[in-house]
Amino acid sequence: MSSDYELSDNEYYDEDDDEMMYEDDDGSASEMDVDFKITPSAKPKSYEIEYESLTQPQVEKLITQDVEDISGIFGVEPDVASLLLRHFNWNKERLIEKYMDNATAVSVAAGLALPEKAEPSSSRSRSTGSSLGLGIRRATRRNTAEQPKSGKTKILERVSPPADDQPFVCPICFDDSQTKTLSLSCEHKFCSECWNTYVTSKIRTEAEHWITCMAEDCKLVATDEFVKSALKDDAKTFARFQELVVRQFVSCNKNLKYCPYPSCTHTVSCPAGASKSALTTIVPIVSCGANASHKFCFGCAIDADHRPVVCGVAKMWLQKCQDDSETANWIKSNTKECSKCQSTIEKNGGCNHMTCKKCKYEFCWVCMGPWTEHGTAWYSCNRYDEKASIDARDAQSRSRASLERYLHYYNRWANHEQSAKLSVELYAKTERKMEEMQITSDMTWIEVQFMKKAMDEVFKCRMTLKWTYAMAYYLAKNNQKELFEDNQRDLERAVEELSELIESSIDPESALALRQKVTDKTVYVQKRNEIMLEDTANGYLEERWNWNIAVDGFDEPAEIAI
Amino acid sequence: MAGICRSRLAEERKQWRKDHPFGFYAKPTKATDGSMNLLEWEVGIPGKTGTPWEGGVYKLMMIFPEGESLHHQDTTHRNHRNVSKFTPPLFHPNVYPSGTVCLSILDEEKSWKPAITIKQVLLGIQELLNDPNVNDPAQSDAYTMFK
Repeated sequence: MSSDYELSDNEYYDEDDDEMMYEDDDGSASEMDVDFKITPSAKPKSYEIEYESLTQPQVEKLITQDVEDISGIFGVEPDVASLLLRHFNWNKERLIEKYMDNATAVSVAAGLALPEKAEPSSSRSRSTGSSLGLGIRRATRRNTAEQPKSGKTKILERVSPPADDQPFVCPICFDDSQTKTLSLSCEHKFCSECWNTYVTSKIRTEAEHWITCMAEDCKLVATDEFVKSALKDDAKTFARFQELVVRQFVSCNKNLKYCPYPSCTHTVSCPAGASKSALTTIVPIVSCGANASHKFCFGCAIDADHRPVVCGVAKMWLQKCQDDSETANWIKSNTKECSKCQSTIEKNGGCNHMTCKKCKYEFCWVCMGPWTEHGTAWYSCNRYDEKASIDARDAQSRSRASLERYLHYYNRWANHEQSAKLSVELYAKTERKMEEMQITSDMTWIEVQFMKKAMDEVFKCRMTLKWTYAMAYYLAKNNQKELFEDNQRDLERAVEELSELIESSIDPESALALRQKVTDKTVYVQKRNEIMLEDTANGYLEERWNWNIAVDGFDEPAEIAI
Repeated sequence: MAGICRSRLAEERKQWRKDHPFGFYAKPTKATDGSMNLLEWEVGIPGKTGTPWEGGVYKLMMIFPEGESLHHQDTTHRNHRNVSKFTPPLFHPNVYPSGTVCLSILDEEKSWKPAITIKQVLLGIQELLNDPNVNDPAQSDAYTMFK
């Protein structure tokens, strides 16, 4: 196994390692520790994951490295190597294998050469000892002989001057006043204006990095160099093109993930969170580095911090909350339908003699039969099938219990979510309070920062608490769950106390005392939050948590104990 | 922009008059004031001999959307793309109930290229008549029947 991303400045891969693996599933942790230079100061917490945030130029460097490797091995221009890699979804081993097998076929498939002539205009120069097909090598030599090395790379494209005898008419716009034409090596000439429009529209509106020739049925692909010349001075579109290439590279490498926040171009490298099996033991929450709020999960599509819950459970919970299945469940356990007009009726008190508000139908709530048969004389509900009625009642109460249980967790979850949403307002309010405090007491701006700090902590803990309810809902009932809930309770109590302190009115005399109290509480809350996260994270590693439902990647629950 | 689009279509018209496949016809429609409307063509495709379509000439309207946006970068090359509609709609798996044809060379995301000419499109549609593409059904009745 070669090392993964060695992000020192000049070496990304072991040069002498032919395999150059992208990912190693068995995660050579010791190597990674060496590779990553982050993890600021203190020892890593068990709920934090090691990752590296990369800027676009840094990823481009990785790409260049790959491209140079391939271009060195095959003896092709970097632009060609880049297209080959893009065609193979950046899978170097497969590319090398296939290319060594049949370079011509690969070049044709990758849109680098024309099929009939089988002349890979792609492979020119630098005849290395690699085992290229004979035909190719011949062509290679011929090409080299014909066009002596011209410092600039003009392999796939040629800018031709207008033909001498007759003016060139672009087959697309039929404009004969165009003087500049461009074509790929297929010699399908079009005016540069049309190329510009076409390439721009491909990049801008279709987000396509694989731009083929404009001629019908022509599969030849434009190199970066060609794209650049076709775009002329449009640096913005070219930058977008480069971003698209980077995006493809990142999406093909499972150790990398693109920041999901709009118009953010950062990438996160997190080999530890890349494998699916790791997601049962860790929650790979990463931050892209561009902005502290750009937090997302490396393992799933949730673009927020969902610690301490693992991805599988978090996804299930969100799905459950989204589904209206619970609504149906509630209706089922709380209502019955009028047997005449089918309107849904909730009985909220009174006797069993029901009168439908809509159709005035009178019936018995117990047996749903018409009330006329129930008249005092021949009350017949006692004749109701004993067993059936017990079953019915059981089913109803079971469904009601599970609903209540869900609502218990959901309400708490929603509550914390709601408080988080209100935090913007609360921040503004706290800011006003901080200003007031500066005026009334003789504290400086720096001295009142404790309020903001406390707010930050409350917000963070509410996020943790929110997800603990999702977790608790799915935890099987045992001692571990009780410990979990104890931790949860401690944290929640501390958070509530702290938020009360923050919102309490300020008395100039006791401001200093309040400051002391808030600071103490903040530290305590922080500690509780860490304990909560650390304990759950360790629990995953020690396989302490049992679920009451089948979760992806975990063992099936032995028995459903709710 | 519109200018380029029109000059291209005028050229297409010229080329078509010079030479076109047997049995086909394609002519721009007349606007109400009698002038030629290059953005809408009336075309006819003959059924291939030896197929059930033989003997018929199937009428279509070819509509070239003129870019409304002044952003010439976005619209120029799209202007050459067209929407072809059978009038009246044809009972065929790849023809929408509205008559619009679903064909890869008419789809920008598939194999449409700026260099494709009206002739190529018409030949493509003729080909499609007897050789439907089951992977892109456009109407359910004809599709299920064909399947």
